[in-house]
Amino acid sequence: MAVKKDYKDQKLAEKLRDRKYYVPDSNPEFIKDVEKIGQTAAHMCYQCGTCTGSCPSAPRSSYRIRLFMRKAVLGLEEEALTDPDLWLCTTCYSCTDRCPRNLAPTDAIMAMRNLAFKRDIIPRNFLQTVQLIYKSGHGVPNNDANRAARKKLGLEEEPETTHKYPEYLPGIRRILDHYRLKENADRILAEGE
Amino acid sequence: MSGNNHQYAFFLGCIAPNRYPGIEAAAIQTSKNVGIDLLPLKGASCCPAPGAFGSIDLNVWYAMAARNVVLAEQMGMDIALVCNGCYKSIWEVNHKLKHNDELRDGVNEVLKEIDMEFKGTADVWHLAELYYDPKVVGVKKLAESVKRPLTGAKVAVHYGCHLMKPSKERHFGDTENPMWMEELVAALGAEPVQYRNKMQCCGAGGGVRGFDIAHALDITNEKLINMEEVGIDAVTEVCPFCQLQFDRGQIEIKEKFGVEHGVPVLHYNELLGLAQGMSPDELALDLHAISVEPFLKKIL
Repeated sequence: MAVKKDYKDQKLAEKLRDRKYYVPDSNPEFIKDVEKIGQTAAHMCYQCGTCTGSCPSAPRSSYRIRLFMRKAVLGLEEEALTDPDLWLCTTCYSCTDRCPRNLAPTDAIMAMRNLAFKRDIIPRNFLQTVQLIYKSGHGVPNNDANRAARKKLGLEEEPETTHKYPEYLPGIRRILDHYRLKENADRILAEGE
Repeated sequence: MSGNNHQYAFFLGCIAPNRYPGIEAAAIQTSKNVGIDLLPLKGASCCPAPGAFGSIDLNVWYAMAARNVVLAEQMGMDIALVCNGCYKSIWEVNHKLKHNDELRDGVNEVLKEIDMEFKGTADVWHLAELYYDPKVVGVKKLAESVKRPLTGAKVAVHYGCHLMKPSKERHFGDTENPMWMEELVAALGAEPVQYRNKMQCCGAGGGVRGFDIAHALDITNEKLINMEEVGIDAVTEVCPFCQLQFDRGQIEIKEKFGVEHGVPVLHYNELLGLAQGMSPDELALDLHAISVEPFLKKIL
């Protein structure tokens, strides 16, 4: 008969009996979604931490990209998508360049942000950029001071973009409307007020 | 316009034409001086901002960037641009759509609604890489275009992120300690300097500048400290968004952290313009938040 090893502390023994990490709201589809949108095999991550060690946001916040990679693998969708740290990635791609598993943790983060947006979780500044582009074609539009400066330089007051050719705007709006982006941006911003 | 010149459709983006128009003016003039004609890309929009749009819905990002590429395809031209952020959107989406049929079909279904089709006939280049490429310009020709060498000026190079990274999908080689932009700076007679953690991000990307400005500025502040440690007269970059972050960021850093730097920030095209003899007025250097005067005193 095999000797049954156990801790004397019964509570600890109970805790360790099930060695498989288990969280009731774990969603096994989460990692598949992240991999599909981010086009990277995130489940191959072996948690070495090179990503967090390369991350400019890590030393000045609680943002840990390695943690997000783990949460993706474990299906901890709720935790990952509701964590405000998700928005502290500057997308510098240092982690992606250095990942010894040839993964793209940055793109996994982008995928998680896409999934967060589907639940209306998104910082306001992202949506304001959508509104600006819908209106003018530019995320950073022209203004009067800049028009004066352009004139002084011998440039036309409006650059050769949608600013000078607003007839291109309907096409841009059609693309954004196809994805109902403006509609959703307006709605989410209004709800937050 | 010379018949032998290389010609590109000039994708402007947002921050260069709408905040630092001197970069636009400089890009057109300095490129002409080395045999590149930049032609208007009529009706182009925001690239769109890879951090903001990519975070919301990558599919919209693909479609919007593809529309800009198609405008160049319709002209039968390659695109040249002056911004790392635009490079990520325009170069990367063009690259992805050329190599991923499923993605291209999806984008074309949307573009069909506005009578456009992505065909994959155009290439996308950053002006900086065209200047470095001897088949187009090259360091030697660049040096020959200099009329007023920037002798004695110590210049730190900020490469930014989205031009060279992720390196596996790009063609620039080493991203740990590249030196090709230092060669571009040395060609102008200035002295490129090395500093701690050269490849670190400016802090602005990924929507972080808008989401948590103090966090973004803290990264910028660290970079400025690392540059000042070795003693510089200016920092140069090839990304107007990085420029905005370093330039206006210094005002914000003073307000928020009480730290004063006073480091002049110049896009490489502005630096090239000065070296080719353009005046500070022709580059609208007065629009910079941090005075460029100390740098001008050094070189004029």
